[in-house]
Amino acid sequence: MSNIKIKSKNLNVYYGDKQALFDVNLDLNEKEVTALIGPSGCGKSTFIRCINRMNDVIDICKVTGNIEMDGININDKDLDVVSLRERVGMVFQKPNPFPKSIYDNISYGPKIHGKGETKSELDQIVENSLKKSALWEEVKDRLDEPGTSLSGGQQQRLCIARAISVNPEVILMDEPCSALDPIATAKIEELIDELKKTYTIVIVTHSMAQAVRVSQKTGFFHLGKLIEVGKTEKIFKNPDNKMTQDYITGRFG
Amino acid sequence: MTKEERLKKRHRAEKRFRFYGLTSIFVALLFVVILVQNIFSKGSSAFKKTIITTEVFFDQELLEIQNGASQEEIMEADFYDTMIENLIKAYPAKNRDEEDELLKLFSGDAEIEIKKAFLNDNNLIGKTITLDLTASDDIDQLHKGNYPRDLPEERRRISDFQLVIYDYFVENKKISKNFNNYFFNNGDSRDPELAGIGGALVGSFYSILICLLLAFPVAVLASIYLEEFAPKNKITDFIEININNLAAVPSIVYGLLALQILLATIQLPRSTPLVAGITLALMTLPRIIIPCRASLKAVPPSIREGALAVGASKFQSVFHHVVPLALPGTLSGTIIGLAQALGETAPLILIGMVAFVVDIPSSPIDPSSSLPVQVYLWSESAERGFVEKTSATIMMLLSFLIVMNFIAVYLRQKFEKRWN
Repeated sequence: MSNIKIKSKNLNVYYGDKQALFDVNLDLNEKEVTALIGPSGCGKSTFIRCINRMNDVIDICKVTGNIEMDGININDKDLDVVSLRERVGMVFQKPNPFPKSIYDNISYGPKIHGKGETKSELDQIVENSLKKSALWEEVKDRLDEPGTSLSGGQQQRLCIARAISVNPEVILMDEPCSALDPIATAKIEELIDELKKTYTIVIVTHSMAQAVRVSQKTGFFHLGKLIEVGKTEKIFKNPDNKMTQDYITGRFG
Repeated sequence: MTKEERLKKRHRAEKRFRFYGLTSIFVALLFVVILVQNIFSKGSSAFKKTIITTEVFFDQELLEIQNGASQEEIMEADFYDTMIENLIKAYPAKNRDEEDELLKLFSGDAEIEIKKAFLNDNNLIGKTITLDLTASDDIDQLHKGNYPRDLPEERRRISDFQLVIYDYFVENKKISKNFNNYFFNNGDSRDPELAGIGGALVGSFYSILICLLLAFPVAVLASIYLEEFAPKNKITDFIEININNLAAVPSIVYGLLALQILLATIQLPRSTPLVAGITLALMTLPRIIIPCRASLKAVPPSIREGALAVGASKFQSVFHHVVPLALPGTLSGTIIGLAQALGETAPLILIGMVAFVVDIPSSPIDPSSSLPVQVYLWSESAERGFVEKTSATIMMLLSFLIVMNFIAVYLRQKFEKRWN
């Protein structure tokens, strides 16, 4: 039995008058991939954005309840979000590299956190991050080129490398493959498999097949509620809930 | 209606629309051509001035100074008699009246021009040199062909006798045209042949500089705060609406405001580039804030999120990523705002920049003119020589505006990232 890394307790999220999440209680295991599935607008993304407090950016967003990481509530007003986001990295739906060089894309995070004081340390971090995200071989000779000049799949791996560069404990992935072709998707999935040895990963996906392939645990959301959560195998073979059954067999969603 | 008829109708409508579009572009271009042609045909002659080649003899008795005289001695010396004695020899005049008419063919600065020649070489006593002296406005315009000589004498500013002298000069190749350095170096003058935009250029430069120094930092910081940090609430909305309204306020209102506050209350020196710059900065501020905010808004939120997600603070995400990306748009907005300010006339008239200023300002607190105000002043003047000066000043102003707009467009095209 693996350790619980993150534990949400009665998590409610409101966008103005609209409630987006209702009493979500979800445990994420350390060094495991948890997939979140469900129809669009069901609150999957909202949930993972609570884990690195990305919802703070939205003025009208209000979050109640607790999210504990290693036993500490991260939904605490006094918590420093900057150091939280150093521990919880995020990869977005659409690749969003900075319009800077590949090198600068990756060295930015370590720089602002004061990691890699010298040039050679930074070089090392960049190289390691790119190696971990399986991009090193493709870009090692053109680190000065803009990150935006890479292909979509490479850009997404660059974003993963950027997330890894600050050495986080958790990586959140918000539909990381939705803008990519099947080959690029396969590469990212392979990469996720590799990364889970070091990091706790949460992935939001619209692809059932992807959830089955990459995750050990799956949560199904519907209309802001966590309907069912369990081992991926069980959820896809023998779900307890009728709605989960209907969704994974493609009867709605 | 059959299907074919409908199809034909649709094609006709498309052709009609094409025709309307092309016609309007043609009309617009026609007006531009007329405007430019008009300004050029009137103004291009102002870049040349007419000069009369005259022999000048420096007679010691008239000058009462020695060869090798010091600067001060020369400055104090009286060159008036030297000038008169030499100029009347330019044409064999018979009597005093004829001499007077001859003298009127030279500019009012003939004495100064002779003195300058002597300042350059103070060994000229007892020698004769050939000097190019500036012709008077009337001869200048006549020589450039801007003055009709077939009018009856009483309706001309040039007498028949002066025409005779002019023809004599032309025949003996004593009259010619060269580059009009006075137009660029001199300040304003009552004599068109001596009037220049030097003072207006410096005045405009100081005004725009002060406007830039005041408006740019305030506008950029205000835009960054409003766009990135301000809470989205009623107060922010209210400020935004008011900024948009201020951008539409007629510029003369800013002139009145400056008149009341800067001149009457604070008692800043009137007619100065300092006051002009502050007034223009007030006017330009909202006009820079609007494009600044637009270019900040154009930076996609995914960049901000990307920065935040690796643990950048709000401040870092804005100043490391958003602002550099918005900079080209910000700069081009600023340049266009300054170009508008450069062409602004009404508020400057109200703060007294219409004053007749001969001296070229040496600092922003010296009285001065500015390019658009100089256009306004000269267009009101009666002398024919100011017509070409007015158009030439407009040409200068337009070329500055074109250069500024070109830089703005270039910055945007070259450096702005396009997001798809």
